[in-house]
Amino acid sequence: MPFDVTILAPHVPFLLKGALLTAEACALALVGSLIIGLLVAALRTSSSPLLSRAAFVYVDLFRNIPFIVQLFFFFYGLPEIGIYVDAFTTGVIALSIAGGAFSSDVIRSGILAIDTGIIEAAEVSGLSKPVIFRKIVMPIALRTSIRPLGSVFINLVLTSSILSTITLNELTGSAKIVASDTFRPFEVYAVLLIAYASLTYLVSLAIGVLHRRLNRDRMPEVA
Amino acid sequence: MIRARGVRKSFGSAIVLDGIDLDVESGEVVSILGSSGSGKSTLIRCMNGLEKLDAGSITIDDFDVSRPKDLAEARKRSATVFQLFNLYPHMTAVQNITLAPIQVLKRSRAEAEAAARTLLDSVGLGARADAYPAQLSGGQRQRVGICRALAMNPRYLLLDEITSALDPEMTAEVLNILAQLAKNGTTMVFVTHEIEFARTISSRIVFLDKGQLVVDLPTEEFFAADGGMARPRISQFLSKMRKD
Ligand SMILES: Nc1ncnc2c1ncn2[C@@H]1O[C@H](COP(=O)(O)OP(=O)(O)OP(=O)(O)O)[C@@H](O)[C@H]1O
Ligand SMILES: [Mg+2]
Repeated sequence: MPFDVTILAPHVPFLLKGALLTAEACALALVGSLIIGLLVAALRTSSSPLLSRAAFVYVDLFRNIPFIVQLFFFFYGLPEIGIYVDAFTTGVIALSIAGGAFSSDVIRSGILAIDTGIIEAAEVSGLSKPVIFRKIVMPIALRTSIRPLGSVFINLVLTSSILSTITLNELTGSAKIVASDTFRPFEVYAVLLIAYASLTYLVSLAIGVLHRRLNRDRMPEVA
Repeated sequence: MIRARGVRKSFGSAIVLDGIDLDVESGEVVSILGSSGSGKSTLIRCMNGLEKLDAGSITIDDFDVSRPKDLAEARKRSATVFQLFNLYPHMTAVQNITLAPIQVLKRSRAEAEAAARTLLDSVGLGARADAYPAQLSGGQRQRVGICRALAMNPRYLLLDEITSALDPEMTAEVLNILAQLAKNGTTMVFVTHEIEFARTISSRIVFLDKGQLVVDLPTEEFFAADGGMARPRISQFLSKMRKD
């Protein structure tokens, strides 16, 4: 059987729908994990031992459990105790929680790297803690951690393929269906390879742009 | 006025401030001299609430920096300029200067920016208003640091070795501005190793040694042969500083 992608033509709309679902889930999870990451990083670096401990437990927990197990627990486990959430929402939440654990770690190192003198200058000028976090700590931490955050986000896109295991026909899920309908797994999965590579390439492009923007003051020095 | 009474501070077993009494009245420029490790920075950090006192009290216009309720008010009345500038790296000069006026004093952005640009003009940085700290020289950064402090309209300016990270030329840039401020009657507590400059702008000189306030004299008297200089510790210190 010669390699022939045209055979997939009738299935393109279906695959595109899957790709769109993946893009949507990833975009939402990316925002979700960034928000969770910022929040948890703030808690972990807070002066309250209780809060920082709780944040640490969260990060440790979700980083040490396979994503597929977390996902199954949310999707197949929770209904047992009466919590029903649709597959898409479950997928986005699970990705956000897992991505949040990794993001928070990256952001936390960004926070710890901030020169204490800068924070002291802000304190002394009478700025409140929340304002200091929002206007100074967060933007400085983000500009140093945006690149490693990019890796976390790319991983998020890759991990999103696991959502196909909870009945969600995102990119991988639809590809599986097309592959078994057409009996042309080689062509189907070749297209899938390219689709994921393009998606992650887009993410890394966006990260590059963001990195340059956040560090625009030092652009001549930052390679 | 700034009033310190019996201020004590230790780090572990090291006593860094050992019962400091000091008054700074409005309009005064008080320079704090003393060798490295004598506790000058720690005293400033106690005044602006960055360090907790172990004993004694510091009040700024009767607001006690050790009381969380008073500290906010005390901090509104004083402003600090730092040795290493401590500018916010992700903000332009203007943004550095306007942040606290907008957030703390609730000024409008337009009003705060206009004031910031006027301040920058007055220190010769009008053209660099939208530059980031990384794009400025050390002397320019410190001038922005001074503007940031002045933008809060503080009654008291706390300055901790604000020129010691600068080369002589940049030091002169910054000291000129301080001289101007002193002439305008700005109240300053000025920690420095620039002895000659301190002599020209100070109304009083305070000498710290091993956490104790050894002398507190009007500038003339401090440098008089039968005044501060009569103390071996001070004359040693001064001759050593002048040699460096
Ligand atoms: N956070 C800290 N923890 C432990 N020791 C400290 C701390 N801050 C200051 N010290 C110690 O307190 C002493 C006084 O320090 P301080 O910085 O007040 O001195 P200084 O008079 O400002 O000296 P310099 O002229 O070098 O700036 C020093 O021995 C210093 O090592
Ligand atoms: Mg010092």
